[in-house]
Amino acid sequence: MRVLIVEDDLEASRAMAKGLTEAGHECSAAPDGEAGLAAAAADRFDVLIVDRMMPRLDGVAMVERLRAAGDQTPVLFLSALGEIHDRVSGLNAGGDDYLVKPYAFAELIARVEALARRRETGSVQTLLKVGDLEMDLLGREVRRAGRSIDLQPREFQLLEFLMRNAGQSVTRTMLLEKVWEYHFDPQTNVIDVHISRLRAKIDKGFEHPMLQTVRGAGYRLEA
Amino acid sequence: MRLPRLLRTTPFRLTLLFLALFAAAACAFLAYIYIATAGEVTRRADAQVSREMHALEAIYRRGGFAALNEAVIERSSGDRPLLYLLMTSGGLPVSGSIGRSPVLDPSGDHTWASFALTQKDPDGSTTRRPARGLEERLAGGEWLFVGADVGESEAYVVKILHALWGAAALVIVLGLAGGVLVSRDVSRNITSLTDVIAAARGGDLGARARVRGSGDEYDELAGGLNDMLERLERSIGGLRHAGDAIAHDLRSPLTRLRARLEAAMIDADAGRADPKLALHQALEDADGVLRTFAAVLAIARLEAAGDAPGQTPFDTGALAADMAELYEPLCEDKGLDFRAELTPGLMVKGNREFIAQALANILDNAVKYTPTGGAVMLRVRRRSSGDTEISVTDTGPGVPAAERTRVVERFVRLENSRNAPGAGLGLSLVAAVARSHRGHLELDEGPGAVEGMGPGLRVALVLPKVG
Repeated sequence: MRVLIVEDDLEASRAMAKGLTEAGHECSAAPDGEAGLAAAAADRFDVLIVDRMMPRLDGVAMVERLRAAGDQTPVLFLSALGEIHDRVSGLNAGGDDYLVKPYAFAELIARVEALARRRETGSVQTLLKVGDLEMDLLGREVRRAGRSIDLQPREFQLLEFLMRNAGQSVTRTMLLEKVWEYHFDPQTNVIDVHISRLRAKIDKGFEHPMLQTVRGAGYRLEA
Repeated sequence: MRLPRLLRTTPFRLTLLFLALFAAAACAFLAYIYIATAGEVTRRADAQVSREMHALEAIYRRGGFAALNEAVIERSSGDRPLLYLLMTSGGLPVSGSIGRSPVLDPSGDHTWASFALTQKDPDGSTTRRPARGLEERLAGGEWLFVGADVGESEAYVVKILHALWGAAALVIVLGLAGGVLVSRDVSRNITSLTDVIAAARGGDLGARARVRGSGDEYDELAGGLNDMLERLERSIGGLRHAGDAIAHDLRSPLTRLRARLEAAMIDADAGRADPKLALHQALEDADGVLRTFAAVLAIARLEAAGDAPGQTPFDTGALAADMAELYEPLCEDKGLDFRAELTPGLMVKGNREFIAQALANILDNAVKYTPTGGAVMLRVRRRSSGDTEISVTDTGPGVPAAERTRVVERFVRLENSRNAPGAGLGLSLVAAVARSHRGHLELDEGPGAVEGMGPGLRVALVLPKVG
């Protein structure tokens, strides 16, 4: 996957590039919005990581111009501004996801991969399939190896998100944001309990466990 | 040259402006009165004179000069108020009540004249009284003069004028005095406000303006100023407190982090230990510091904002149901009996995200401090006052009554909870959220001590009714 990092803090930019390269992605970097626009126009990227506050052209203005020019590459905003209205203004400008500094590395990588993946698959799918696990989005049915699994509505949403991001790590914060639509960090392990319930339903009685815990990061659904 | 302070005040200037306007109006009024009364007196005298002149002319036409002479003699000797003089065509007096015509230079047949009448008083002195008269040339060339004494009426007009001038002077004096009084009152009130502002600018945020309780605009202004200073003082106090608290609560974990890294470096240099474990712990420490920082920031922002931003009406029951769904498995996992009693359709106006966060903090605490086998109850109901109450009751150890206000303060954690994770900011954030929605946070005892458990804690987030 090719990632463009637009960030004026060179040390942060280098650390990100290092982490992403180690995760198997190819990285380019730009030190400000102008350079970011030029780089995005000159090359094709799967995801852009854009810092919100930069000299010359800030992140929001850069993404607005990018979108105005018809470039639909997914954008992940990085920002020290974490208030809800900051988030909303970032997403309104054309950002696809918003990560507040400071962040755990696993969180950044998980989000970048989720963005790239979303682009690959598109969104008009009515049948999701991961290994022998199938989800019929229209019939609201889940089966594993042909056996029907009964899920609560929230468990269904949770599994849908995991299946759409199958093979990739998703963090607890991502789950709380995308499945429950809350943007805060719960102090306790509320998400873990929901995952273990879901795990009991989809993995119990099967030899191969699909829903795995990724240490220090979150969870991953594997075929 | 600087004017005295009083004369520079806005009310005094306004008073002067109004006085000037009033004086102009009074002048116009006086002029009108004068013209109306004095003109009327002249007109009436003229009418009387004209009538008499016509009557005498009629007598002349009927009976000739002799008859006229007789009539003049007869009228002059009677107590008629008019003056008469009949003269030959050469201007020599024939008969009448005055000896000489006041019309010195008759132009044409018909001449009006205003003149002064000298009158001898019984005490020998003379007074001059204004008079008006008409001199006409008769058909035979003789002259007839008829005049009227307008002294009485003129004196009346003069009296009216004097009264008006007196009244105008009185009004101006009273107006000035009133202006001075009003200006002094206003400037006294304003001075008390500017004194408070000066004190606050000088750094004394404890200064307060006097509210007299009259409910007038000065009271309103003083009240507003006091309210503003109150908020300012509180938020600066909060900042100062937060600064101290941040220094305390961030410095210790940062010190620990630094010590850990230093020790790991020494160990690694000596080849004694794998630095990986130390790095893991350091990462955890750093995360802890960041969480504390985020919470402090969130509280500070909420307090600085006054009212929470992004408020929209939403159903508290639905939000609580959402949170119940999120926390119920956690409770079950820990062996807690979780129940929710939610009244649907209770709308409040607020920032949904903040209220959710506050409720999550309360539920986090309940789950954290209630031992296995206990119970957690989430309730949403409308109070009789119309306020909406979101409450969480647990059967944990509770908080002693004396400590309840203190635990809401920043960074306060009770001694027996030192070992539980968390920065001690949970309830402070809830309280800040409550305040930013003009609501409040209540802490009470839970259901009481039963079977070695309790007495429990009831935390209620009370939000004011919409509208």
